[in-house]
Amino acid sequence: MWLPLRLTLLFLFLLLSPRALLRSGSAAVVSGEEEEFHEELLLKPLPDRKVLAHFHFHSIAPPSKSNGRHHHLFPKAISQLVQKFRVKEMELSFTQGRWNYERWGGFDPISSNNAKPPGVELWAVFDVPEDQVDAYWKNLTNSLSGLFCASINFLESSTMYSAPKWSFRITPGSLRYGTLPREAVCTENLTPWLKLLPCRDKAGLAALLDRPSIYKGFYHSQRLYLTSNASVPAETVSGISLEQTLTVVLQPNSPSSSSIHSGESNFQPSWSLSSIFGRKISGKCVIAQSSIVYLQLEKSIFSEQKDNMDNGPNSLASEGFAGGSGFEMSLDPDIVIEEENQSQHKGSSVLYGFWVEKYNESQPLDLGLKWKYPVFWSSQQAPLHASRFLMGSGNERGAIAILFKSTNSADSSSGSRHVSDGCELQVDVFQVVPWYIKVYYHSLQIFVDDEAKPIGDFVHKIQVSPSKDKTSPGMMEMLLKLPCDVRSAALTLEFDKGFLHIDEYPPDANQGYDIPSAVISFPRFHSVMHLLSNDSIRKSPLLSRFQEKNRVQSYTEVLLVPLTTPDFSMPYNVITITCTVFALFFGSLLNVLRRRVGEEERYLKAGKKKGWLRVLLSRLLAKFRGKPMEEPDQPSSESAPLIGKKLVLKVILVAVLAVAWQFYST
Amino acid sequence: MRSKLPDAASSRKMAASSAVVAILASIWLCSSIAADASGSSSETTMHTNNWAVLVCTSRFWFNYRHMANTLSLYRTVKRLGIPDERIILMLADDMACNSRNKYPAQVFNNENHWLNLYGDNVEVDYRGYEVTVENFLRVLTGRHESAVPRSKRLLSDEGSHILLYMTGHGGDEFLKFQDSEELQSHDLADAVKQMKEKHRFKELLIMVDTCQAATLFNQLHSPGVLAIASSMKGENSYSHHLDSDVGVSVVDRFTFYTLAFFERLNMYDNASLSRLFNSYDPNLLMSNAYYRTDLYQRNLQEVPVTNFFGSVMETVHTDSAYRAFPQKNTPRETRIRTGKTAEDDSRRSILTDMTKAECPFTRIVSSLESKMETVGNLDSLVNYGLVMILPVLVVSVWLST
Repeated sequence: MWLPLRLTLLFLFLLLSPRALLRSGSAAVVSGEEEEFHEELLLKPLPDRKVLAHFHFHSIAPPSKSNGRHHHLFPKAISQLVQKFRVKEMELSFTQGRWNYERWGGFDPISSNNAKPPGVELWAVFDVPEDQVDAYWKNLTNSLSGLFCASINFLESSTMYSAPKWSFRITPGSLRYGTLPREAVCTENLTPWLKLLPCRDKAGLAALLDRPSIYKGFYHSQRLYLTSNASVPAETVSGISLEQTLTVVLQPNSPSSSSIHSGESNFQPSWSLSSIFGRKISGKCVIAQSSIVYLQLEKSIFSEQKDNMDNGPNSLASEGFAGGSGFEMSLDPDIVIEEENQSQHKGSSVLYGFWVEKYNESQPLDLGLKWKYPVFWSSQQAPLHASRFLMGSGNERGAIAILFKSTNSADSSSGSRHVSDGCELQVDVFQVVPWYIKVYYHSLQIFVDDEAKPIGDFVHKIQVSPSKDKTSPGMMEMLLKLPCDVRSAALTLEFDKGFLHIDEYPPDANQGYDIPSAVISFPRFHSVMHLLSNDSIRKSPLLSRFQEKNRVQSYTEVLLVPLTTPDFSMPYNVITITCTVFALFFGSLLNVLRRRVGEEERYLKAGKKKGWLRVLLSRLLAKFRGKPMEEPDQPSSESAPLIGKKLVLKVILVAVLAVAWQFYST
Repeated sequence: MRSKLPDAASSRKMAASSAVVAILASIWLCSSIAADASGSSSETTMHTNNWAVLVCTSRFWFNYRHMANTLSLYRTVKRLGIPDERIILMLADDMACNSRNKYPAQVFNNENHWLNLYGDNVEVDYRGYEVTVENFLRVLTGRHESAVPRSKRLLSDEGSHILLYMTGHGGDEFLKFQDSEELQSHDLADAVKQMKEKHRFKELLIMVDTCQAATLFNQLHSPGVLAIASSMKGENSYSHHLDSDVGVSVVDRFTFYTLAFFERLNMYDNASLSRLFNSYDPNLLMSNAYYRTDLYQRNLQEVPVTNFFGSVMETVHTDSAYRAFPQKNTPRETRIRTGKTAEDDSRRSILTDMTKAECPFTRIVSSLESKMETVGNLDSLVNYGLVMILPVLVVSVWLST
């Protein structure tokens, strides 16, 4: 129902806009730039028989006076968020699974920009004075939690976020950073994310997003990155650029791959869009300026084919889909873009582009890839592979270790490239530790190639803000300079485990507590694709994003620390035991104090002679008369009938009164 | 009062006693007036909107069925017309994307797997660690921090009909949240009372599917509240069946038969609440469903289930041209405009009562009159009055001598 409405609106807009432009030339200058929307999909086979699908949606709202608060394509919810909380730059990611840096690559733009830590990660830069940043951050987290159906509001607590100075981003400004490693990511997070798109998931590339097949994957990360150009005059609404990406790693389950289990398992699985997602692309989102599907293949595949076949044609463009090459695409690409081979760097790639606008309902786009020969290749690696683990045992103390291992492929190339720098490998480490993990920063040790080394030799710059109990987390920023020929380097930090208040334990406290991922970045290395410049590249936000200079970044594992958890039934046990002890004590004390053994024996004897009712009555009588009951035997036999008479009289009197009352009242 | 009297001087005794009588009488009058006023205001408020608060309080994978229960109800109320922004959905754990779930991003409430409850458009407002007793009570009473977004608030008004559905593990007068804390029947009753005081609902249906669910309603006193429980005190609520593919039980019996009732309905059906109540068979439920209706004024046979489980508005026919919607605090205008329907006379009479009530003295007199009428037998009233005065007289005489 929305789509036709939107379409008609767009149509009307298109009809009216040229006239408006003609009518007022001066206004046309202001609204010269229009809101844009681009959708792109990048598919890439991965070395371990999986497929990477990277959706990239880009919405741009230029700064304008004329629009006011209204937008044609841009999501209003986001622009309101930016206006209200003065957000200069913000990134929010929802991730489940862990990016496999060794197999899926650690150097290319996707792994540097789109590989995110598990759970939710949020950072934002605000355009407000430093003392107000925390308040804005709190409101922003609450708003985002309402917008994306997630518990992002837990980040408002000052124990959950930190303000990195230089290691996370080079120009931080008033930056706040927080993660929730255990946050569940599911369709309720994806749905509001898709609702920000002008075509939602009803048309265009987003229509591919079948929820069960996405969440079946090994890794999925949905990300929202926005920048607004601040420092605009107060009247105009600042321009915003919103980048929404969804990165999924899926296992194609083609029927052929299951049939060739005997001997031929070297084959990469063949796949198509319909076999991965169960859907096909039936046309583009009509509002989108560009709608392109890319297929990215590593160049090393071609070189291997040459080795295998010896008679491969030289032109890469023809090689891909010409008969006799290692793979076959089900469609002819509309454009072939090659990465410029500037250095001897191994990993460069070829992009095949397909215009979605050429396809429609009757002839949907169903890109498929079929392998003819077994092929092997490896992804580009970051210079060092970082992993993190826990050491020590017991519930009292432990140690965190970050281990850097040189990746073989990057070793030679980086070494040759950075000889001129005196061959130093710069590594930035940014780590946030919750307050109940009390890290002793003085216990920092460095092992280079398995030998303990003095810290001063390698740590170029370090900044630590220790944790405060129940107030702020501990944060460590470090710049390491390692020699290029380093094979491995390790950092260790010791910590004590703190105690939480009984109210602060989560319901599943026995599961343990998470230490968020550390961010490892390499400031001297940039993940850039040098594409041969072309008109189509300039139009494509995805490719222009790939050509930006971003430093190589990776995240380590989340650590799970078991903390001493109290027995939560303990208060009840204590109460029960204390009460029992008190009851026993006071009971026996009273017994000892009040008991008169002789009396009891006499009563026992008397009780055997008379009925219990009489004893009770005589006792009562004695109480009323205020006399001690001394002769239990004789008077009781006489007084009993007397009491009986009186009692009967009284009862009769009351009954008569009641009857009279009843009679009179009715 | 009487215990104080012996201290006073004897000459004043009679006057004092008569004063006491006067005070008593005035208190009685005031209370009757107050009761009258509150009754009339709740009756004359228009039904404005429908809200639903659906709570799954159980964490951990083996409690899959509680989430399926809640999501089934979510689907039903959405199907019957309550929009997402008026549903507060609280799910204590993530089952759909749980790593133990063989069917990622899907939740089923039946082993035939015909219906994926976790479709493409589920909005979860509170999830995971956020589902606590505190947040639950905050949602009901509306006492949030200022930063909390609108989607997480129950923004109901005095004309709202609210469905409150809860499922989880419970016991005698409590319901467990997240396996770590409890909501007690006193807390629930207190929250409902606060809601009533704050004019946050007109009618409230509380539906609880848990063991000994009936005990959770023991402390409720607020008018306009209707309660359904899956089991009586001392009874358990059982799950319906096990899905061997998912590996756990997928739905509870009470919810299953509730859904079976609703699946046959659409928005335009006029099935009454009493039909829903009568559809529960103790043999199938393996427990006795309990209904508490003493706080609810309307006849259940006349109240359609869409009163709570859907969003079906009463249309108001107006002869005049369109005007802005009347404000909530002036319900009389709507009465005037609806006065041209069949129930003309009765509504007119309400209207005249309301206008009379403007002057305080006439209000007292009229309410006194109405009370007199309701008592019926005037003689007995006089007799009671005499009898009440008698002891006062006797005591005062005894003291004066």
